[in-house]
Amino acid sequence: MNCEEIKNLMMGYIDGELSDEQKSLVEKHIEECEKCRDEYKSFVRIKEVTEDMRLADLKEDIWAGYWKGVYKRIERGAGWIFLSIGAIILLAFGMFEFIKSIIFDPSLSLIVKIGIFSLTLGVVILLVSILRERLFAFKKERYRDIER
Amino acid sequence: MKKERSLEYEDEKLILLTQKGKMKAFEILVNRYKKNAYFIALGLVGNSEDAYDLSQDAFVKVYRSINKYNGTSKFFPWFYTILTNLCKNHLKRQNVKKRYLSQETERQKLNSEAQNSSNSEEKLEKLALKEKLLEEIEKLPFKFKEIIVLKHFRDLSYKEISEVLEIPIGSVMSRLYYARKKLKESLKDFRE
Repeated sequence: MNCEEIKNLMMGYIDGELSDEQKSLVEKHIEECEKCRDEYKSFVRIKEVTEDMRLADLKEDIWAGYWKGVYKRIERGAGWIFLSIGAIILLAFGMFEFIKSIIFDPSLSLIVKIGIFSLTLGVVILLVSILRERLFAFKKERYRDIER
Repeated sequence: MKKERSLEYEDEKLILLTQKGKMKAFEILVNRYKKNAYFIALGLVGNSEDAYDLSQDAFVKVYRSINKYNGTSKFFPWFYTILTNLCKNHLKRQNVKKRYLSQETERQKLNSEAQNSSNSEEKLEKLALKEKLLEEIEKLPFKFKEIIVLKHFRDLSYKEISEVLEIPIGSVMSRLYYARKKLKESLKDFRE
C-alpha cells in the first residue's frame, strides 16, 4: 500500500475501527515509511489532547428543566399563531367594514372613494405578498445552507 | 452514540406517538437526545448559552414539522440536519465569543498545582496546547469542524457519523484525515 492509500486507514487505526488484517497493513506501512510514521504520531497526539478535554457541562438543575424549556417554547409558538390568526381576522373585518362605510357614505366624492379603496387594496396585496413570502421561506428553511 | 435509553421505546415509535398528540412521547425523545444536541451545538458554536438555546430551538422545529416525518429514515440524522442548520445560521449572524471549556477553573487549578508540583510546567504547556487546538478547531471549515466534534467530543463511531452526515464510511475517514491534518499543522510549534 502506498502513502495515499494508507491515509484513511490510518484514521481507522487511531480510532480503533479496523479489522486485524487492516491493522497489520497500517502497522507495516508506518514502520517502513518515516513520513507516515511522523504524521501518525501527530494525529495520535491530537487525539490524546482532545480526549483530555471536556466541553462545559450544564448544572443538573438546568438539565432537569430542559424539557420544560422546550415545552414552553412550543406552547408560546402556538400562542403566537392563534394571536396572529385572531389579529388577521379582526383586521380583515375592520377593513371590510371601513370600505363598506366609505362606499355607502354619500358625503364623500367618487374620486376620494376610489383613492381610499385603491390604498386599502394595495395594503392588502402587500400584506398577502409578505405573508406568502414568509410562508415559502419557512417551508424551505429546513434545507437552506446545508453543505453536503 | 451517547443516548439516554432508559425507556424501551424506539425513536420512530415515539415520533408516531407524538404525531398522535402524545406529548409525553416527545418529552422522552427530547430527554434522550438533549445532551447530544447541546454538546454538538456547543462544539459548533462555542458558546454554552447559545448552544442551550439552539438545541432547544431544534427540538421545537422538530415538533412543528413532526407530521412530515414518514418513518423511512432514522430520527437522529433528521434532527442533526435541523440542529446544524440552526448552528450555521447562528454563526453567520454573529461573531460568537468562545466559551468552550471551563478553562478558568482548570487554569486556576493548574496554577495552584504549579507551586507544589515538579511537572507543572508540562501541565501548563498542555493547557496552552488545548487552548491552541480549540482555536484551530474553531477556524476549521464547517464540514471539518463538525466531524471533529462528532468524533472527538461526542465519540461517535464511524458508522454513526456516516448515518448522521449521510456520507459513506470512506468519506468519514477522509474528512477526518483532512481535518486532523489541518489541526496538525497548527501544532507544529508545540514540543512533542
